[in-house]
Amino acid sequence: MNRGLLAFLPLLVLALTAGAAETPDLRTGVFKPPRPAPDFSLRGSDDSELKLSRYRGKVVALGFGYASCPDVCPATLFFLAQAKEKLGAAGKDFQVIYVTVDPERDTPERLRKFLAAYDPTFVGATGAPGQLADVRKAYGIQISTQVPSEGNPSVYYVHHSSFVYLIDRGGNLRAMMPFGVSVDDIAHDVKALLSP
Amino acid sequence: MIAGRLRVSILWMLVAASASAFGQGSDAKVRVDGAWARRAAMLTGVDAKAGSGSGAVYATLVNPGKESDALVGAESEAAAAAEIHESYQESGMMMMRPVQRLDVPAGKKVEMKPGGYHIMLLNLKRDLTAGTVVKLTLQFQNAGKVPVIAEIK
Repeated sequence: MNRGLLAFLPLLVLALTAGAAETPDLRTGVFKPPRPAPDFSLRGSDDSELKLSRYRGKVVALGFGYASCPDVCPATLFFLAQAKEKLGAAGKDFQVIYVTVDPERDTPERLRKFLAAYDPTFVGATGAPGQLADVRKAYGIQISTQVPSEGNPSVYYVHHSSFVYLIDRGGNLRAMMPFGVSVDDIAHDVKALLSP
Repeated sequence: MIAGRLRVSILWMLVAASASAFGQGSDAKVRVDGAWARRAAMLTGVDAKAGSGSGAVYATLVNPGKESDALVGAESEAAAAAEIHESYQESGMMMMRPVQRLDVPAGKKVEMKPGGYHIMLLNLKRDLTAGTVVKLTLQFQNAGKVPVIAEIK
């Protein structure tokens, strides 16, 4: 467990104990008090610079994963896309940002195609391995690369933390959603954060 | 000529009827219910080594019989290879591992779902577009090959 995640744990514990009573409006896991989302600047899947703080004014779902991931990453993106659909017109201010944990394979083009299968407005982010490691550290994301078959080293998995952060319009971390949260709960929380 | 065709038709009806009766008997074989796949894009790009992306198929395996069976393999027209995989959590991370066999005990169901067991489609040969289907053949130890059509969502 790295230091980034350790820094978040007391906040999460606080959220689970105190937050449940005082902030009943979010269902997916609450940051209390909210804290500023660490800013970063990476290469976007549209090939331009992607700076998190430029998304102030929108509610951002920030997730980590990779295009070759068959189950958990696509399921997460699928749930986020369905939640966005549920929001209807209000969903235009909901932005999904997906940071790769596999920069070797995930070019901007590959990320763009991968994400577009779920929603063409979702943006991906990649960068130099060191830059991506810094972002993961800031958000407490762990990864572990595994090559299942020695005979075929080009096939490998990048196991990774699968939670998704919700960031409010002011750029503050508000929720840390574990994998498997229902579409209804995601939509509920995004809607709550979108409300003025 | 017509009488000949009629005889052939009746013969086929008898074959079909006996097959269906057999299927509902005590030695009924494993069946695959509610198969679906998640939409996914075939990824072609600058680096062929990166592969063309993957997909996942989920279903409920139902064994109404009195003998245990097991899913031991899969293939699909939409991917270069198909494998049985399991996603699981460890130390806060989502992990994935290939599974050699997925047991379906007698009289039980095994549900494959996101974050759990799935058929991983490796190196897609085409896009998996929502509203269309993907065809697979699942290989069971006792039931043999079972053709499956999975709806893409």
